[in-house]
Amino acid sequence: MPDVDVLVVGAGPAGAVAAWETKRAAPELDVVLLERDRAVGSPVRCAEGVGDAGLREFVNPDGADWVSRRITDVIFEAPDDTQVILSNSGIGWVLDRTRFDAHLAAQASAAGATVLVNTEATGMSRNGDGRWHVRVKQGATEEVYRARIVIGADGVETMVGRWAGLDTRVPSRDMESCAQYVLEGLDFNPNAIYLQFSDAIAPGGYAWIFPKGEDAANVGLGMVALKSDGRNARQYLDAWVARRFPNSKQTGYTVGGVIVHTTIKKTYAAGVMVAGDAAHMINPLSGGGINNAMKAGRLAGCTAAAAIRERDTSERRLSKYHQAWMELLGEDHLKYYRIKQALEHMDDDFLNSLARTANKISPEKRTLGRVFTQALIRHPQLIPVAARFFV
Amino acid sequence: MRRVTPDTIAVVDLAVCDRCGLCLPLCPPEAIHLELNTLTVDKTTCTGCEKCIAPCPVGALSMTPLVPSPQSPVPALNA
Repeated sequence: MPDVDVLVVGAGPAGAVAAWETKRAAPELDVVLLERDRAVGSPVRCAEGVGDAGLREFVNPDGADWVSRRITDVIFEAPDDTQVILSNSGIGWVLDRTRFDAHLAAQASAAGATVLVNTEATGMSRNGDGRWHVRVKQGATEEVYRARIVIGADGVETMVGRWAGLDTRVPSRDMESCAQYVLEGLDFNPNAIYLQFSDAIAPGGYAWIFPKGEDAANVGLGMVALKSDGRNARQYLDAWVARRFPNSKQTGYTVGGVIVHTTIKKTYAAGVMVAGDAAHMINPLSGGGINNAMKAGRLAGCTAAAAIRERDTSERRLSKYHQAWMELLGEDHLKYYRIKQALEHMDDDFLNSLARTANKISPEKRTLGRVFTQALIRHPQLIPVAARFFV
Repeated sequence: MRRVTPDTIAVVDLAVCDRCGLCLPLCPPEAIHLELNTLTVDKTTCTGCEKCIAPCPVGALSMTPLVPSPQSPVPALNA
């Protein structure tokens, strides 16, 4: 029976950073990182967009081979295709998640963590010795790992959370059903991300174009099934792509769920922490989760290292991870969630008129802050939405 | 959890399912499992609430009648 200090389940950004940070904080600990798929980073279930500042807390994107595209502009599109262009609105990146995730796992490995691919946790229990006994399957072989701490970074479908007795369920209204193609042969601005808001195109969510190259992009959408006209996410996407890019070539396809809720009430139990999508640590307005996952992974890794050194992996000790997360971003997500709820009442006509208001600001003066201010002046119905930001 | 035996329960078409895992957190009784690249719906705990059906991005889940076979009747757990 392998005996480890920290067992991390899932080698996405949350898990890889958790393993890396645990080793960085406490090099003497045995840390094992499990990935159920054959290779870290694959299959990609992500639009791959990420902000510059958050990313740089962990890795340097300049010249990195795990970057697909540097982004400088954001183009918001109203339901009637009116564009609101925000040039030089800040830097972002579209990643190559296959390489990016592999890069993070390589950092964990270089720090001394053991990375096992094609290896899946299939259950775990607490057996009275103060350790978690985790059943781990690698091909036909099944072993039981004994771990002082298990970090669940196993994504939207988290099983670690369930096994630890945490409530990781989500209401239907807060689940974005997403579908995405990788398309080539596109005529567009490859330095901009495009976000189109419309109940007819992506009810309860938005459609996106995230450039991967000069003429290639992740083209996808997220929608809330409760607001659907009966079609599923893929059918909505097919309709949008047929209208928008009828002559493009499809080279990739993925689907998945993005939880646009708030952090689960309790992200820890005795000897367990959950991080990233598994703990619903996603910005509920944007649906972005990569930087959040890495930040949570860092907190979980540092907490694990300190707790084991103190010989205290109790629920009470690990609750400090939850507190640290809530102070860092969890409380902000509660505010964003309230704004999201308020915005749900805005219909397509309103969004069209909002876009025209924004375009009255000259392009060189058009910043997100000014758009927001003008929107409030000209559309008083937005004031309750803004108010929710501050309560 | 108190469970009234439902008339219909969720069933997955594995030829269509992409194993994205979206349906797992939507299931109130946690009856859906994803293990070893296979999605399964636990017939004994699915309540037939249909919360997993529409959100599936590819339409891999549907409802099917829960007809107990004469050999192995499904017990009414609330009886």
